[in-house]
Amino acid sequence: MSAQPLQLGSVLAHEEAKLLACVHCGLCLEACPTYVQTGDENDGPRGRIYLMRAVEEGRLGADAPTFARHINRCLGCRACESACPAGVEYGQLLEAARADLTNSRREHGAADRLLHFALRHIWPHPARLRLAFAVARTLRDTGLVRLLRATHLPHLLAPRFDLALALLDGSRAVRLTEQEREPTTQPASANITTSRALLFDGCVTEGLFARVNRATARVLALNGCATERPRGQVCCGALHAHGGDIEGARRLARQNIEAFADDNAAPIVTNAGGCGAMLAAYAHLLAADPQYAERAHSFSARVRDISQQLSVVSLRTGAPINAPVTTYDASCHLLHGQRAASEPLDMLRAIPDLEFVPLTGSDVCCGGAGVYNLIETELSMRVLDEKLKHIAETGATLVMTSNPGCHMQLSAGARLKGLRLRVCHPIELLEASYRKLAEKSSDAGQETS
Amino acid sequence: MRKVGYAQSGRVVYHQSAESLSFFFPRVLPVDKLLNNLCTIVGSDSVIADADELLVYECDGLTQHKHRPRAVVFPQSTEETAAVVKELARARVSFAPRGAGTGLSGGALALDQGVIIELARMRRVLKVDVENRLAIVQTGLVNAQLSRAVAAHGLHYVPDPSSGASCTIGGNIAENAGGIHCLKYGTTTDHILGVRVVLSDGSVVDLGGTGAEAPGYDLLGVFVGSEGTFGIATEATVRLVPLPLAVRTLLADFADVNDASRAVSALIAAGLMPAALEMLDGATIRAVEASVFAAGLPPDAEAALLIELDGLEAGLDTEAAHAEAICRKHGARHVRHAKDEQERKQLWAARKGAFGAMGRLAPDLMLQDAVVPRSRLPEVLADIYRIGAHYQLRLANVFHAGDGNLHPLICFDLRDKDEVRRVEAASKEIVQTCVEAGGTITGEHGVGLDKKAYLPLIFSDDDLAAMLQVRAAFDPTGLCNPGKIIPTPRGCGEARIIATSQAQTPAQQTMPTANAMRPSVTIQTPAHNAFAPDAAQRQLAALVGDKNIALACDEQIESTQHALVVAPANVAEARACMCLAARDGWTVAPAGACTWLDAGNPLTRADIFITTRRMTRLIRHEPADLVATVEAGMNFAAFNETTSRAGQWLPLDPPDDGRASVGGVVATGMGGAQSFAYGQPRGFVLGLRALLADGRQIKAGGNVVKNVAGYDLCKLFNGSYGTLGLITELTFKLRPRPAHEATIIVRAPDVETLINCARQLRAGQFLPVALELLAPALATTIGAPGATDQFALLVRFAGNDASVADQAARARVLFKSARTVSLELVEPDAHLWRALAAQPLRTDWQLIWRASVRPSNLSALLVALHQAQRDHVESLSWHAGLGDGRLRVMQTIETDAPHVVATFTSLRDTAHKLGGALIVERAPDDLRRVSDAWGLSAANARLMRSLKQQLDPHELLAPGRFFASEVRG
Repeated sequence: MSAQPLQLGSVLAHEEAKLLACVHCGLCLEACPTYVQTGDENDGPRGRIYLMRAVEEGRLGADAPTFARHINRCLGCRACESACPAGVEYGQLLEAARADLTNSRREHGAADRLLHFALRHIWPHPARLRLAFAVARTLRDTGLVRLLRATHLPHLLAPRFDLALALLDGSRAVRLTEQEREPTTQPASANITTSRALLFDGCVTEGLFARVNRATARVLALNGCATERPRGQVCCGALHAHGGDIEGARRLARQNIEAFADDNAAPIVTNAGGCGAMLAAYAHLLAADPQYAERAHSFSARVRDISQQLSVVSLRTGAPINAPVTTYDASCHLLHGQRAASEPLDMLRAIPDLEFVPLTGSDVCCGGAGVYNLIETELSMRVLDEKLKHIAETGATLVMTSNPGCHMQLSAGARLKGLRLRVCHPIELLEASYRKLAEKSSDAGQETS
Repeated sequence: MRKVGYAQSGRVVYHQSAESLSFFFPRVLPVDKLLNNLCTIVGSDSVIADADELLVYECDGLTQHKHRPRAVVFPQSTEETAAVVKELARARVSFAPRGAGTGLSGGALALDQGVIIELARMRRVLKVDVENRLAIVQTGLVNAQLSRAVAAHGLHYVPDPSSGASCTIGGNIAENAGGIHCLKYGTTTDHILGVRVVLSDGSVVDLGGTGAEAPGYDLLGVFVGSEGTFGIATEATVRLVPLPLAVRTLLADFADVNDASRAVSALIAAGLMPAALEMLDGATIRAVEASVFAAGLPPDAEAALLIELDGLEAGLDTEAAHAEAICRKHGARHVRHAKDEQERKQLWAARKGAFGAMGRLAPDLMLQDAVVPRSRLPEVLADIYRIGAHYQLRLANVFHAGDGNLHPLICFDLRDKDEVRRVEAASKEIVQTCVEAGGTITGEHGVGLDKKAYLPLIFSDDDLAAMLQVRAAFDPTGLCNPGKIIPTPRGCGEARIIATSQAQTPAQQTMPTANAMRPSVTIQTPAHNAFAPDAAQRQLAALVGDKNIALACDEQIESTQHALVVAPANVAEARACMCLAARDGWTVAPAGACTWLDAGNPLTRADIFITTRRMTRLIRHEPADLVATVEAGMNFAAFNETTSRAGQWLPLDPPDDGRASVGGVVATGMGGAQSFAYGQPRGFVLGLRALLADGRQIKAGGNVVKNVAGYDLCKLFNGSYGTLGLITELTFKLRPRPAHEATIIVRAPDVETLINCARQLRAGQFLPVALELLAPALATTIGAPGATDQFALLVRFAGNDASVADQAARARVLFKSARTVSLELVEPDAHLWRALAAQPLRTDWQLIWRASVRPSNLSALLVALHQAQRDHVESLSWHAGLGDGRLRVMQTIETDAPHVVATFTSLRDTAHKLGGALIVERAPDDLRRVSDAWGLSAANARLMRSLKQQLDPHELLAPGRFFASEVRG
């Protein structure tokens, strides 16, 4: 362990220069989903930075309830970063503030304690994590979760419990086309491998959305990119960092750097916005670690979202699929953390005749934000309502998003509201299109381009 | 712990939450009955009273001033706001309104433990009226959201301050916010049609909102820019403007700042009217290029001009080429044209993000805001850089060059006390430099707390006292955002002035030392003394000379037999006359060319008429500034003739038969047909000097196109008809005179056809400057071609040759398809419009009235008119502005008075029902006595009365014009 025991306020104090970068202009306010909901300066990025600065200057205690309340109410979506002309690195400040909070708070709530227990004792251990997700999958895939929710008992018991079940149920695979037809073959055409990439699985993605990981690999392969899944990779640490456990995040980061060390030239491809942004932030996370700083830096430079990786190849066109009207909701960390705004949409151009309607406010958080929805449920649901309203305006019944948290949040929202809305990852749709192409070619019994 | 809540017992407790100790030890705050009552009104989750949570409300966008409020209240409606204010007034607790807190003057802070009324939760768009191009919104709505909400209709809200992504419409109204597009389109005040205001006693009043040329003082105009000290605007009716039909955005970069600023003056002097003209200096360019807003500005440039031209596609390329040529002539190295909307947006994002981007250079930033006449930019900029160097400060400039609105940005570190001192010293020196160059201390950020001390640099004690009096009229309680704007060097003198001004006798001050004055004496005035004409004539003759005094009856002025008409030669003489009148308690009717002396209600008494007709000097006209200063008596036509020589003009066409004086145009506030495109006189007065009832001379506004220092008292004098003071000097904003003008005259047998024509025209790609509908009789009178029994629509186009030709050709095609009878293009067309403007001054009309409603309601009003006058529809003379909803009816009266009164009473009711107003401009005396000329709403009348009471407590000026006198002599 290279880190020193933390002092009160010390993590923020370390970030003083970043705090001072804020000139208090307020251009971030409207980008902030919680500020838009409450209109309370304390719930906006500028106000939160002001509170951080007050803590850092000693005008406010790091253990002040106001500080805890408003730092915790931040979604961490980092939309403010895209709006900020001064380039304030808010995400990093937030993590520092949460770390100070974790170190200073006298009391932790039950939900908080449960979360920290899981992050500390389950997440870092691949075997335990696999077991946990296997249990979750069983509950989900046997229909038990759905059955339980149908009794309305969870809702009566605790709406938050109901939400948790809805989130889990929301991770199920959905039918992507209007008429379902089981895939008969894998894409047949031979590929010339021109590049190589290392895939980052992600804990929740591999646990509940393994199909997305497989689709990612297939699409890459079809576009001439050989992939590998390095062994020894663990959770990216985003949940830890956002939850204030910076040391936990650093431990995981070091493990991942080691796991991906065998080929220092190959890009590291993720399909989860949250993981991608975290991996890209390892450089900052380990900047003060003499042993890992340099390696972290080069690691972060290799991180790409799947859409960014595909944007550098000339993407193969798939076959038209009979998908319903579709829209896209950006994952905040993909958009603001990895700055992938147009790439996911460009990727969809490879699907011919896709009926796509742009979503108003697709750059605004859905309220999922990791486990935020289970902790600040009320505010999360207000933000989600806004999102569902905009989705309804598009008339789309299939919404794509590139992060498991957002995926489950939207899907849960649809379930709680009884909406006819399906959610998928854009790569799933692209893969379906390629699959269709393969079917066609095998039907025709001849090669196609 | 959660936000404070208020238990039934009246105790304040904290909500418990899992992570708080308060679960076991509920913290109890002292009983605060006020907070409890506020919570009852808005709900406990809409009140913040926890000291830690209030921390972030201790400052606005400017962090140098910090005052933590007692509480923050979030009302959600006008009613809640009114209830909150009423409660605060009852408790005598002061309050300050706040929007997004992006202001840069410390204006949205509550001093002395006041309460902040935060409007951020009032962000609904209440109504979008596409046909009339307006929207009604709650004032907590964010500026950019408004434009976004109406974009689907092809409209937008023009004022676009750099903080537009976050700042609220309410905050924009409070500060009279500018932005990058106000060079051509004006500032917030030109785009607010009405506001609903909660006054400091909790009463609610609607200001403006009745359409063009609302009756009475321009309360709306003076409210905009009052920085939350007059009341809280909770709803606003805003003007929407069609998105530009075509845009060209140019980026010119220079190796020398001075070259760039000379290019700015040259662009304006050449008659170009860019929608925006912005400058970034080298330091700014480099900071922006390092930020997320990088737009590819050349990092080695020392200055860049961002020029946006908009209008019709036709001729726009020629203008862009002209602009480019001028830039190149003044040393531009490259001129880049934005090739698409995306590139254009990127360039503007770079400009708007400049302030924040500078944040990269230093922990703290001081963003100054001062305005200088455009023509003085090079020398002032040089001075500013010199000052920066002298105080060893890093300084950059990014500003609205077209407006001469400078924004020097000083980088510093708040923790370095010595540096802070240097920043303060440099700021002061910069502001002083700008003032000395003829500018002002703030162009758009406001005075607030930050610039109070600078106000005396440009305003005298008398000016400031007048401002305080106006403030007292709006806020007699003194609770509304106290401690802002007006400096109070003598402790709590502000309150004292407000208190004493109500009891003040007209002039406990010394007389001015005009040549003919007797030694200074203190005037003690019993109000409304008896008037002895002979003695008065002798005394006045000593001031202005014998031959400049006449009897009113000799001048064909209807008034009491013995009234005198006095014509002073200059301000000093005028002031001497006013002082004399004040001393002796004579009533004074200010006048220009004496053309509208019988406007409004009959004067209850007018002992002397002071006319400015001998005060006709053109004091200053600087073409590069597009500004001219004149004495108020200057002939309006002569003024335009003079400025025309430099290719500029005051684009107004008020009622005028060649006699109108500029002062009269402002005092009556009347526009004409072209106000549709250019606006009314209120929008063109940058500054004025006036003599108040007690002889005090005050100055309002300034000499520059953007100015938000102090209250905009210029607006108050607009349409005041001499009841508040005698205007002696005016500074106007001018416009480039269009190269070409032409009018298409369409005739048709019915009104509806022509209204439809106008509607189609407005919906199409046209930019007419006037859309005037004329009754057949009037059309014939002014010499419009076509059949004499048909209505006429006069459509005027103005601009460069290409755009006028293009519009005229397309309009022809458009109208041909309508069921019109004849179509004629008239050019040159000036004689037509002159003839129309002269009509209201013809002496053979006995009754003239005008109404204003929303344009879409005009046809309903015309129907009502024709019904009411069905016996002589053919002989009716009226003209109506289809673009701005004006209607003026001129008639001779054949029937008896009661019938006439009944007629326009019913028409006024119709106008009021349509949300508009009806004003009698001229009527025979017997009629004027039985019917009120103005039809003011009770709430507006109350405010006007208290303004009059403040500025002219003894009703010496034009008594009775708006209200029957309350003071009896």
